[in-house]
Amino acid sequence: MSGVAIAKTDGWEPKIVAFCCNWCSYGGADSAGMGRFQQPASARIIRVMCSGRIDPLHVFNAFLEGADAVLVTGCHIGDCHYVSGNDKTKIKYKYLENVVRELGIEKERLQLNWISASEGEKFANFIRDVTAQIKKLGPSPLKPEGVV
Amino acid sequence: MQKGEMYVGWSTKDDVRKRGGSGGLVTSMLAAALDKKLVDAVVVLKKINEFEAVPIITSDINEVLNSAGSLHSVPSHFAKLIANRNLKVALPAKGCDVRGIIEQGKRNAINMENTFIVGLNCGGSMHPVVTREMLEVMYKIKPEDVHGEEIEKGKLIFKTKDGKENAITIDELEEKGYGRRESCRYCTIKIPTNSDIACGNWGVTGDLVGKATFVEINSEKGARLLQNAVDAGYIQVQKPDEKGVAMRTKIKGVMEGLGQKWKDKIFVPMDNRLEYFRKELEHCIDCGACKAVCPTCSCGDVSKCTEYHFRSDAYKMSMYHLVRFLHLGDACIGCGQCSDVCPVDIPLTRLYRRFANPIQLELKYEPGMDTRKPPYFEVKLNE
Ligand SMILES: Cc1cc2nc3c(=O)[nH]c(=O)nc-3n(C[C@H](O)[C@H](O)[C@H](O)COP(=O)(O)OP(=O)(O)OC[C@H]3O[C@@H](n4cnc5c(N)ncnc54)[C@H](O)[C@@H]3O)c2cc1C
Ligand code: SF4
Ligand code: SF4
Ligand code: SF4
Ligand code: FES
Repeated sequence: MSGVAIAKTDGWEPKIVAFCCNWCSYGGADSAGMGRFQQPASARIIRVMCSGRIDPLHVFNAFLEGADAVLVTGCHIGDCHYVSGNDKTKIKYKYLENVVRELGIEKERLQLNWISASEGEKFANFIRDVTAQIKKLGPSPLKPEGVV
Repeated sequence: MQKGEMYVGWSTKDDVRKRGGSGGLVTSMLAAALDKKLVDAVVVLKKINEFEAVPIITSDINEVLNSAGSLHSVPSHFAKLIANRNLKVALPAKGCDVRGIIEQGKRNAINMENTFIVGLNCGGSMHPVVTREMLEVMYKIKPEDVHGEEIEKGKLIFKTKDGKENAITIDELEEKGYGRRESCRYCTIKIPTNSDIACGNWGVTGDLVGKATFVEINSEKGARLLQNAVDAGYIQVQKPDEKGVAMRTKIKGVMEGLGQKWKDKIFVPMDNRLEYFRKELEHCIDCGACKAVCPTCSCGDVSKCTEYHFRSDAYKMSMYHLVRFLHLGDACIGCGQCSDVCPVDIPLTRLYRRFANPIQLELKYEPGMDTRKPPYFEVKLNE
């Protein structure tokens, strides 16, 4: 009678932490809502001023506090409002991905995506796809005891 | 004398030549640098007993000359010793020492212009505690009775006070879990081409075996060091013979191949990695020693890995180690210091290398081998 088995069935909604850049993906999330695109309630959006502000430590923290997946999102390369913030995101992400993969965490649980403010549908689809992937995988192995 | 040249040389002081690892050239060159004010200080090992020693920074020429000889069970590390001191210094350095010094240089903690690095070829070093146990279990001799130690033809030889020589092959010792530290077995920098001048006994031939040091000049600073020692009358050098040069290259290749084999053997692909890391780190007491000794870390007491780590969080993975796994991705030089000091014997270097191996391979970045900036600090990756 493991709690995990129950959680994996229909009722369980994964917790997905999405870091969104103020100038693009956060706007994308907004226009997803405005456009009434159907999206699951799984995403917890954290707004940052630029994807370059996302420290790998923030991502570790999200996982250790119980996120089932963490999404790093930002402006398309070339469109960063601070010129090269997202180039730095790319570098940090490479290192982050290396740690998360070597730890043995499934690759679906950490994803990078560039989404502009006008791409509401892309944002909604992204969250929906990730939610479906994570529902298949079940809760994250890093989730603390007692956290759903 | 200039970069790229090779010589065979020895100390002009007979007792130093005798005591030296292979001719006493290194200590004499260091002493000459002090004597002629090329540097203000020199780092050497001060012996406690036949297989234990502590590193010291000294300006005393005699103390430098007294340090002649190789201590294989002293896995000391010199990078942090000279960091943030703004010294004009010359020092002997195994491959991993050199790499640590270069990484500290990149982090502005060491001024490379003022640092003369005398590289030592290195087949590996041993942990002193393991050595003690090995002496009793494998050699059946009391550590206190040891009077000298050397490596010859793949054998580790301990001389005892009664004049006896006790030899066992390193392969046999390592099969039984003794011998070189694990990190040394897969270390692939056998001749420190990243130092100012690389010194060792490989390549010394004929009558000179055991009585001379083979050197290769890697930089203008290295040339100055050697020329200075010759001019000051501390050492004597001659051109190496072709046979010796070829032999040295061959041994280097063989040793590097063996290192790669060990690497493949230790870092086998693994399932259930999260459980593995969790289990290994389970007994960590957060003492911070692994960070304090790490020669590529230049954060002070207040650092990201420590400031966001609270035991009371009781997370499934240690935040301290997660941050370090990431930060050391491109920085870890595999020196083994972290494993050496961990009070609860966590095989940390093995864990850290699990993260460092793939990313360093992918980024084609070898820390401590040249002055290239760590990729993490680039604005854009050249892909
Ligand atoms: C652990 C170790 C392994 C080695 N393995 C090889 C090898 O496989 N092949 C090879 O060709 N040469 C090797 N060497 C180098 C060789 O033993 C001689 O040091 C070198 O040939 C220089 O000889 P020398 O007589 O000129 O040096 P010396 O005049 O004897 O001077 C040696 C200097 O090295 C310092 N030193 C001694 N032990 C250490 C240590 N553990 N860490 C840092 N500094 C130290 C001493 O303080 C001294 O200043 C190794 C050296 C060490 C320390
Ligand atoms: S890590 Fe390499 S250079 Fe350092 S002591 Fe071991 S074999 Fe020598
Ligand atoms: S993590 Fe360990 S092996 Fe790597 S550089 Fe630091 S002390 Fe050396
Ligand atoms: S040295 Fe060992 S016990 Fe101390 S912090 Fe590092 S892993 Fe933990
Ligand atoms: S402003 Fe959006 S990624 Fe930099």
